[in-house]
Amino acid sequence: MEDKEERIETSLVAIVIDATPAKKFASQPLDGSSMMNRIFDSLIAFGNAHLMQASHNKLAIIACNSKSTKFLYPSMDGNSRSYQNRPGQYDMFAKVDSDVRHGLGELILNDLTDNDSTKSDSLLGGAMARALCYIHRVQRELSLSHQLKPRVLVVSGSCDSALQYMTFMNVFFTAQKENVVIDCCMMDTDSGLLQQGCDITGGQYLHIPSVAGLLEYLLWVFLPSPSCRSKIVLPPPTKVDYRAACFCHHKLVDIGWVCSVCLSIFCKFSIMCTTCNTEFKLNRPAIVPAKSKKRARIE
Amino acid sequence: MVNVTKGILVECDAAMKQLLLHLDETHALGNKFIVQDLDETHLFIAPEYLEVLQTRIDDLMDRISFPLAERETD
Amino acid sequence: MSVQQRTLDCKDLHEYLKTLSATVLDRLYNHPATCLAVFRELPELSRLYIMRILFVDQAVPKAIMGSWVSPNSAKELEDIVKLLTELRLWQEVEMQGGLKGWLLNPTFRRNLKGALLGGGNEWSMKPPTDADPKARGIAILDEYAMGRWECVLHFMVGSHQHEVISSDALQILQHAGLMKKEPGENQLTITRDGFQFLLMDTSAQVWYFLLQYLDTATARGLDLIDCLGFLFQLSFSTLGQDYSTDSMSDGLQKFLQHLREFGLVYQRKRKDGRFYPTRLALDIASGPKKSMLNTMAATSLNQSSGYIVVETNYRVYAYTDSSLQVALIALFCELMYRFPNLVVGIITRESVRQALRSGITADQIVSFLRQHAHPECYKEPPVLPSTIADQIKLWAIERDRFVYKEGVLYNQFDSQADFEILKNYAQERGVLVWHTTHGRKMVVTKEGHEEVRKFWKRHSRNGSM
Repeated sequence: MEDKEERIETSLVAIVIDATPAKKFASQPLDGSSMMNRIFDSLIAFGNAHLMQASHNKLAIIACNSKSTKFLYPSMDGNSRSYQNRPGQYDMFAKVDSDVRHGLGELILNDLTDNDSTKSDSLLGGAMARALCYIHRVQRELSLSHQLKPRVLVVSGSCDSALQYMTFMNVFFTAQKENVVIDCCMMDTDSGLLQQGCDITGGQYLHIPSVAGLLEYLLWVFLPSPSCRSKIVLPPPTKVDYRAACFCHHKLVDIGWVCSVCLSIFCKFSIMCTTCNTEFKLNRPAIVPAKSKKRARIE
Repeated sequence: MVNVTKGILVECDAAMKQLLLHLDETHALGNKFIVQDLDETHLFIAPEYLEVLQTRIDDLMDRISFPLAERETD
Repeated sequence: MSVQQRTLDCKDLHEYLKTLSATVLDRLYNHPATCLAVFRELPELSRLYIMRILFVDQAVPKAIMGSWVSPNSAKELEDIVKLLTELRLWQEVEMQGGLKGWLLNPTFRRNLKGALLGGGNEWSMKPPTDADPKARGIAILDEYAMGRWECVLHFMVGSHQHEVISSDALQILQHAGLMKKEPGENQLTITRDGFQFLLMDTSAQVWYFLLQYLDTATARGLDLIDCLGFLFQLSFSTLGQDYSTDSMSDGLQKFLQHLREFGLVYQRKRKDGRFYPTRLALDIASGPKKSMLNTMAATSLNQSSGYIVVETNYRVYAYTDSSLQVALIALFCELMYRFPNLVVGIITRESVRQALRSGITADQIVSFLRQHAHPECYKEPPVLPSTIADQIKLWAIERDRFVYKEGVLYNQFDSQADFEILKNYAQERGVLVWHTTHGRKMVVTKEGHEEVRKFWKRHSRNGSM
């Protein structure tokens, strides 16, 4: 007899954009404009499409390159910047549009002018962590009659960086614990790590064959809420590579050494765990079999 | 030949129907009021008894319910 | 004699739109705001379908569209197709090679795409070129809006300490059947519908009220499409932003003055040249469902935030000093104590039955108590003790143990065939209330009796020949 107490669902999508491949895409032409522009147009349209679904929907867009991460929307630098409204466009969407373009422009220009390109891995893990922090904050601030359905959409085009393996794993398990779904849309390259993340959190991983159709993929695969995805036909799930990266050289390993105390993984044997400083005593193994033999005899 | 009677169709649960039958038999409303006993959950009654029947049932419900909330007497 | 309980029929946006004619609908979609509002109210799957074909300029074959959903959602797809066709958002077309396909309404497509990316029809509501020297803050607007709206409600519950509302508002209240004038009396009294109206949440009230207003819009010499278009634009406007009245037609100016009276927009002076939308006007289209107003309750500490605590011993504590809220609670509670900021009442069988008698339903009481639950209650769900919710419903069911229907009983048929003929006839006419083949008895409605009797006479005459 007791009916369910309704809570208003608020869907929050945090889009994490990896801007490192921007350089690469900037030079590739596509239908008269650069591929990079095309990608950003698609992402903005997707963000607005999400906001368009329901008035309670929320959006956050974070971009990162190899040096910094930056909140593009909601932008942190006040909301005073005037934006130019295209005829017919809804005010709110125009604001997203202008904020994102402005922020991305700054980020990419900084990157291009900076010639020091020794470090080329993108800080994707950090940006995702910021997205989770933001989700956590929104969740706390939300009134009690609302229920937040958060997810993170990672749009990236760069290879896995083993250096960030730990950050990634921490992000994935935090997301899982906080019931945040991680979706991932990869261009150009595949990412084994993000595949794992999507799999752990119940998200969708998609490697798109061509950048030209990005918006269509985004709208069909990533716009529906996770609860609605069972109703539609989606690309079949990819087989997830669950190999771990070692802590010493950040290489993916099939078989390695595991610290018996903290479970850190190493590709080569060392006498001390670099993570928890446990010493591994080498001469013990020789004695242990003898002991167990003796015990076996007593029994 | 078809017989035509004006009145009111009453739909209720089986237990309530028995109560109505009882009221009818004991002439509790002054007279018999059931025109036809249709089935388990339906009765056809004379229209002029509707009001008195409704108050009767209300009274009965009042009698068999008891106050759930305690109230301090001042 | 209607013994049946009637609930107030509050249409949602789509139901309302379905009542409009096709030409009106097509003209409505000429505006991006309307398209956006209609789109948002669609179920999720249909929104996805529209998104997918939004950028496709030609018809899409049915077979392809069907393959987009998993087979166990095929039923849902049918519902979507029906809904979208009814709203004239898409139509069936014959494609090359005889294939059947669906084509998105081009006006709708252009304007929805426009709202998303720019390039559609212009929004007619624009900020004025110069800044308002006496700009109004959001807090003031909220206060103003609630003040105006409560004035209407106050009037309905009859606490006459406030100013009287205008004749237009009175007219709408009467037209909506929320209040009526008893013959021979001068004063308006609240109706059964009115009681139910009072217990709805504010956004639903506003929506219902506006629907009733729009009903009479044409009679007031206003253009329905202009008004609706304006309302939807208003619902997508920014709170705290002022808009210019310069480009508005005379009709719309008049409409604006009415909205101002109910607190949907704020205007300092009639000829100010600018107006501010208030929270009441925002997100209007989500009407009967929950909307932004609930967010208002949580964010700003005005009176509309939750104030009711219900205990399992049927006691109701209402932390309020507003006479309106006290009056609302008194609709279904027995008040016991009154303090400056607190009213204590008790829910009894008698008090609930009193409410039920005046036309309020159990569900309305329960949802009212939930909606206005004190924030503390949310910390330990359920917000409203389930015993209370159940008991209120039980009290309502108790009243419904009998269903009375006036009708005419036909019995003592000579043959099964005669009975079947008459029964089928009554069934076709939709006047058959009850029948049993076994004893050849049937009951038809009082209204249908005359027709059935005539048919029977004709039939038996023919039969005897």
